[in-house]
Amino acid sequence: MKFYLKNILPAALLVLALVQSALASSHREAPLIADDPLADNVDVYAFRSPDRPNTVTLIATYVPFQLPQGGPNYYGFGENVRYEIHVDNDASKVGDEIIYRVEFKTVNEDPTTFFNIRLGKRNLKMTYTLYRSDNGGHSFVAIVSNRVVPPANIGKRSIESGLGLGKTYQQLVNEATIYAATGERVYVGPSDDPFFVDLGGIFDLGDSPRQNGQSRDGVACKNVSTIAIQVPIAFLRKKSAPKIAANILDPNYVIGVWASASRKAVRTLTPGGQSFSGDWVQVSRLGMPLTNEAVIPVGQKDYWNSLTPYQELADQTLDQYFYNPELALYMDDSLFGGAVPAFSKLRIQRKSLGSFDFGNGKDGLFALKGTAAVAGTALDDAVFGTLLLPGAGKPRSVDLWPIFHTGVPNVRPYQLATGKNGNPLAAGKPFINNFLPNGGDMLRLNMAVPPTPRNSANFSSEGLLAAAVLGLTNPTYASSSALQFIPNMDGFPNGRRLEDDVTRIELQAVGGVVLAAIGLWYDDYVPGGSPVTPRLQNVLMYTTQVEANDLGFKTAFPYVALPHAGDGACGGPIAAQFTSQDPWLSGGIVGANTKLVATGQQQILANNYPNPFTDATTLRYRVEVETDVQISVFDQSGKLLQTLVSEPLQAAGDYSVRFEGTGLPVGVYFAKIVTNKGKDVQVLKLAKQ
Amino acid sequence: MFKNSHARLIGMLLFAGWAASALASSHREAPLIANDPTADNTDVYAFRSPDNPNTITLIACYIPFELPHGGPNYYTFGENIRYEIHVDNNAATPGDDVTYRFTFTRVNEDPTTFFNIRLGQENLKTTYKLERSMDGGTTFQTIVTNGVVPPNNIGPRSIESGVGLGAADYASLMTGAITNASSGEKVFCGPVDDPFYVDLGGVFDLGNLPRQNGPPRDGLGQRNVHALVIQVPIATLLKTGAPATPANILDPNYVIGVWASASRKATRTIAPNSQNDGGDWVQVSRLGMPLTNEVVIPIGYKDYWNGLTPYQEITDVVLDPFFYNPELSLYMDNRFFGGAIPAFSPLRVQTKSLGAFDFGYGKDGLFSLKGSAAVSGTALDDAIFGTLLLPGAGKARSVDLWPIFHTGVPNLAPYQLATGKNGNPLAPGKPFVNNFLPNGGDMLRLNMAVPITSRTDAAFSSEGLVAAAVAGLTQAPFNTNTNIEFIPNMDGFPNGRRLEDDVTLIELQAVSGVALAAIGLWYDDYIPGQTTSPVTPRLLNVLGYRTGVNKNDKAFQATFPYLAIPWRGTDVAN
Repeated sequence: MKFYLKNILPAALLVLALVQSALASSHREAPLIADDPLADNVDVYAFRSPDRPNTVTLIATYVPFQLPQGGPNYYGFGENVRYEIHVDNDASKVGDEIIYRVEFKTVNEDPTTFFNIRLGKRNLKMTYTLYRSDNGGHSFVAIVSNRVVPPANIGKRSIESGLGLGKTYQQLVNEATIYAATGERVYVGPSDDPFFVDLGGIFDLGDSPRQNGQSRDGVACKNVSTIAIQVPIAFLRKKSAPKIAANILDPNYVIGVWASASRKAVRTLTPGGQSFSGDWVQVSRLGMPLTNEAVIPVGQKDYWNSLTPYQELADQTLDQYFYNPELALYMDDSLFGGAVPAFSKLRIQRKSLGSFDFGNGKDGLFALKGTAAVAGTALDDAVFGTLLLPGAGKPRSVDLWPIFHTGVPNVRPYQLATGKNGNPLAAGKPFINNFLPNGGDMLRLNMAVPPTPRNSANFSSEGLLAAAVLGLTNPTYASSSALQFIPNMDGFPNGRRLEDDVTRIELQAVGGVVLAAIGLWYDDYVPGGSPVTPRLQNVLMYTTQVEANDLGFKTAFPYVALPHAGDGACGGPIAAQFTSQDPWLSGGIVGANTKLVATGQQQILANNYPNPFTDATTLRYRVEVETDVQISVFDQSGKLLQTLVSEPLQAAGDYSVRFEGTGLPVGVYFAKIVTNKGKDVQVLKLAKQ
Repeated sequence: MFKNSHARLIGMLLFAGWAASALASSHREAPLIANDPTADNTDVYAFRSPDNPNTITLIACYIPFELPHGGPNYYTFGENIRYEIHVDNNAATPGDDVTYRFTFTRVNEDPTTFFNIRLGQENLKTTYKLERSMDGGTTFQTIVTNGVVPPNNIGPRSIESGVGLGAADYASLMTGAITNASSGEKVFCGPVDDPFYVDLGGVFDLGNLPRQNGPPRDGLGQRNVHALVIQVPIATLLKTGAPATPANILDPNYVIGVWASASRKATRTIAPNSQNDGGDWVQVSRLGMPLTNEVVIPIGYKDYWNGLTPYQEITDVVLDPFFYNPELSLYMDNRFFGGAIPAFSPLRVQTKSLGAFDFGYGKDGLFSLKGSAAVSGTALDDAIFGTLLLPGAGKARSVDLWPIFHTGVPNLAPYQLATGKNGNPLAPGKPFVNNFLPNGGDMLRLNMAVPITSRTDAAFSSEGLVAAAVAGLTQAPFNTNTNIEFIPNMDGFPNGRRLEDDVTLIELQAVSGVALAAIGLWYDDYIPGQTTSPVTPRLLNVLGYRTGVNKNDKAFQATFPYLAIPWRGTDVAN
């Protein structure tokens, strides 16, 4: 039973699988926390720092779906909320080894204005104190005190101008990137949401990639509140670990990382105020991405948020969602596979190696329980208990369950099929060891695995899945079963890098790709033939079509991109105008320089005024059917001068955009209008006087 | 003093000013409520129904900035919250005369899935009870039970397909959710496109409205809210004792004040996996006039403002200074910070109107007239109306901005158009508004006797009452007489608020003194005896001012509930 595991297993290596299940990280993922954005933990990342490999960077993001233009109060962190990042590095001891806790205070520097920033003063200005515990939470020491959180990136007037703060936003981030008294590098403040996913598609009954229309990043143009801490590996590793890792999969170098937010038990409202009292209660947590978003069903989401990972060991109600995940229903033609066409490339093994059925409610590898075939492997009850083969009808107990609860040991059968000669239970090529069998949902990272340079040709957002493919197919790695570094072994689910496409990886995992990686091939595999069958290729080629963040990440700490600016292109769609009130439209100017751009079914009508112009001209256009619109200005040699408009899905309506020609030589310029249907391009003359 | 003599003022008509102040309605407008979106009241509308003129449509919107694709849980009304729309129709009796209270229940029809809708089952499915009080909140009668809130417009698979709800289309869900209350009201509760529009990113970047660089953007474009919509017979809203037929189109008996609120129970106790709310109800959000708490009240008082009822404002003394001398007017005056906000350069407050009157921040406005023969018999006469409109020196906007938020505007000198005044702003002129309901608090005030401007009329304007004033001053036949007659858009903001009304534009123009100009307190470049026309370049600047965002991103519907269907999760850019 799971309760005994802690005693039986700590020294033993258990389990496996390198992937998991689900679909959109944890933005408003459970009913209660959806109504409490300030305490809503959105994502957790943990990766070996590419530019400082003797450190690991831990990132937790909070407060989902922040609109860059969300004034007058914008967003921050909450007072009376405890934000924590937890690290477990020793499964033989109960609970966290290291905890970072951040608490915030807010002050109005100028309570007489409704603006957030004015004349160097900030309202709702936040400061934080960072505490650290290295004894499981018994005592905390302040390691950063009363440091300023940068403001929201409101816009140039508020941030850069003399009426505002008079600094660039990058300067503000640099000032806020500091060292703690104990050596950690710390950034606490707004950033672009580093996550990417087609929320609109996936939550419309799994329509990802979209079967009609373009897939879109639902968290593009959104910001989050970020806590980033870069910690020396020497501090994070288990106390008894060797100073130098024995090898790149040294089991002593595994950490489990999770984050949480807690509130005090009692909130008392009074007119215009509120107060808090009582014990702290955890209201949000996150370890593995998407667990509570798309594995745990709606009826259990609030419950999941309230548990610590350590309490999961005793829980009996949640395991079933990993043994038989809902998503698997939609990847199986005998169940609801036909109902989600977008997942058609993802079909679970129903007859792997001619016999093993991993469909929901089926037995998976349970038939092997107690047989000589599994002796000495992680599936051997005598060695590891009954955790991986707990019973019939729990097919994913061998892959999805363990990756969320224990991590994956470097032990048979959890090695690549390379070198196994057709027997998945034989020894193969090592590719992962993030085994930390504490039984709870965490992001598990083996810190001994070297980082893959982000500018390497081999770097892949497919993470460990990319490493597995190389280890199975690339001669450099597939020609021996020796332990060697394969690029992206430092990727999800061995920790999580900012770039990792966890949605895709997890969907592929539910589609059985991990089972395939260790030699449990897809149904169309014929013994003696190539295991790289059409079904496996389908799974590997599956994509959600949203594979990267909308902004590039930074090469140095805190790595996350600057928050989108409120006065920039992410601050809302360009406004449609009242045509009847426009003086130059009603003034009869339309027609003099009006052109019709016909692009398939879409039509755009455009002109510019004044024309000729001296300093600036306003270009008007009418979108008759919603379309993507891009308008760029070129000189006569075809050199791009400026992109005036780059709008996804601009609604039907009349628009205007100003082109500043100050400083340009006298001459003729061209505005090119491109929409997303057809290739017709309209050229307008901007004759500078 | 008015504040201490509420009862004395009842029955008397007071005064004036028909514009307001500010900039972006009330989305996350105060620090506390910004962190409680489910109870955040974003906008209130009240207008005579264009297709059903013997009714008034009341709308209150909640939950700002909803992303149409905000799954898996999307958005809905909260349990343990009282959502209320309040109506005052009689300033002589304290408190509400009609109160509508909505309470909601959420149910998971299929708790085994993480999808919101699957195979005809809906999670977080929300239903409501609507109660009505006709006695100031003492007793409530249930008039709708188990009202249906439509789901979010997730996408075609969830709404139309057979694996989802199998609906004909989303519009049919919306129509199907319209219900008739047992007491005669028509009711809809559910997600809709946010009808408000404003360039948030521009205006809150230190007033960059319209943007001086780059195209204007609708910060609420492609965002949804949850709306309460009630269409109420005018007869239900009418003050007891009012004539069944109005005496004229500005009949003072036909004025209502409308505001909305959200309240939570005082004590929330959270335990792992649950929360329990108990104790008395505490108001956490309210809204009447758009943008009051967004850009009139400074940050230090926003939470306080949300905690008050309008009726409590009559005894409050800390908020009035923000109306007497609004922060925004600092940025419309070259003696202060006018140079700091180039976007507002067409908006300059009168500093020497008619050669004498200074309405700048901290200046005296009309205070020098106090007690003089000139104001005798007008709304500014202390003997008749108390000292409310001229409470003291240094309170420049006590005659225009303060009253529109607190009492509404009577049809009385000087609050009539300059037409017919022959150069004396204190003389009787042409009537154009009467939404006077002197209860002292922030409400949307609507005279229900004013006829409706057809939404398809060429004269229909999102400039609301400003458009009516311009017509009354400049267009024949309206500017040829001082009769009470209907001028198009007299049914527009701030006489109530229609969905189309561009309240941001109107309020910014009002802060810059356009209401003063309308009654004959012309801009500085009008020199009495010298300048031929009061329609001076400065007035034209103010009237020509635009924010860059002049209409909603979706067209409104011609019939109840008028609001546009919510944006679909699969149809928005991001």
